[in-house]
Amino acid sequence: MKCRRCKEPAQVALPSHNTAFCPDCFFLFYLRQIERAVKDHAMLVPEDRVLVALSGGKDSLALMVALAELGYDVTGLHISLGIPGSSDEARRIVTEFCAQRGFALEIVDTPALGLAIPEVKARLRRPICAVCGKIKRHYFNLAAIEGGYSVLATGHNLDDETARLFANTIRWDPDYLAGQGPSLPAAGGFPRKVKPLYRLGEYENACFAFLKGLTYATTPCPYSQGASFTGHKALLETLELRSPGAKIAFYDGFLARGRPAFEARCAAASRPLVPCARCGAPTNESPCGVCRIRALLAETPDAV
Amino acid sequence: MITVVREPEGREQTFEHVHTVHKLLNKLGARPGAVLVIRGAELLTQDRRIEDGELIIVRKVRSSG
Ligand code: SF4
Ligand SMILES: [Zn+2]
Ligand SMILES: [Zn+2]
Repeated sequence: MKCRRCKEPAQVALPSHNTAFCPDCFFLFYLRQIERAVKDHAMLVPEDRVLVALSGGKDSLALMVALAELGYDVTGLHISLGIPGSSDEARRIVTEFCAQRGFALEIVDTPALGLAIPEVKARLRRPICAVCGKIKRHYFNLAAIEGGYSVLATGHNLDDETARLFANTIRWDPDYLAGQGPSLPAAGGFPRKVKPLYRLGEYENACFAFLKGLTYATTPCPYSQGASFTGHKALLETLELRSPGAKIAFYDGFLARGRPAFEARCAAASRPLVPCARCGAPTNESPCGVCRIRALLAETPDAV
Repeated sequence: MITVVREPEGREQTFEHVHTVHKLLNKLGARPGAVLVIRGAELLTQDRRIEDGELIIVRKVRSSG
């Protein structure tokens, strides 16, 4: 297989785009997909101070490298969750990555805030990933607000986004469908949130991370069974195999023709945000959900 | 004989008479877009030849958690 652009041996084959690239031409392709996402959805302007959520996985590290190469002012944010077996590795990888490449890094340590995920899991009878996701979003928001960042970028990729859209669609969840997208404007005290990798699949991100020599975390979270829509991803993969390009068409079509209808429907019903009396985060109801979980854990240390 | 290391598990396997990436992936039951096929610093597309004595890393692309 030859690179479509320069005819050197290809290293990355992309059936969804009916093409293949050598490493250098693949880097160009990769950055162009990000530039297109940024432009189509008004994600970033050159003056932005961008806080990049770094989990230590391939997507977030690739995102950081790519945004820096595109000239954006980026700072990393890592949320350390206290999960045995995966959190220490993730933290070490993110710390080394930022040190080696000269990126500024902020770390939020949730166990120090009374929110070690294993304890949260033991005390709450709710699916841990939903709660963990809420806690991470909460501290992303707070760090962005407190640090004066104009935008928060996450490494969600095309597979994450289409799987979530598919899940929201088969449940016909109007609120989630109204709120899903690669760029959410700043609102009610929350920073703007963007997903510049939304046009790039996991395979493209893994290729980019490998070819850029990135060491990324691969130890799965011990609670990850059923997380990140594994089953939905497999179904969409089958669809993509039969008709290459189906995933991006599904997602772009939703943004152009589906979401506006749900937005119009939900705008009327949305509740105003107020600052949480305890932590200041914007919330529908004070104290916010995370402050309520913290209080619960602090009050009932031995409860199960 | 080629040696294959599966990642992230770290499991090692050896194969005789497997001389293209395409054949290797078929043996492993892996879809091309689901794994990186790594030889040294290089990624191998499905049509590439692999030779006896080579070490190939087959790294799962999907992250979890
Ligand atoms: S898999 Fe679930 S519990 Fe583990 S880090 Fe992800 S969201 Fe949190
Ligand atoms: Zn090329
Ligand atoms: Zn709060």
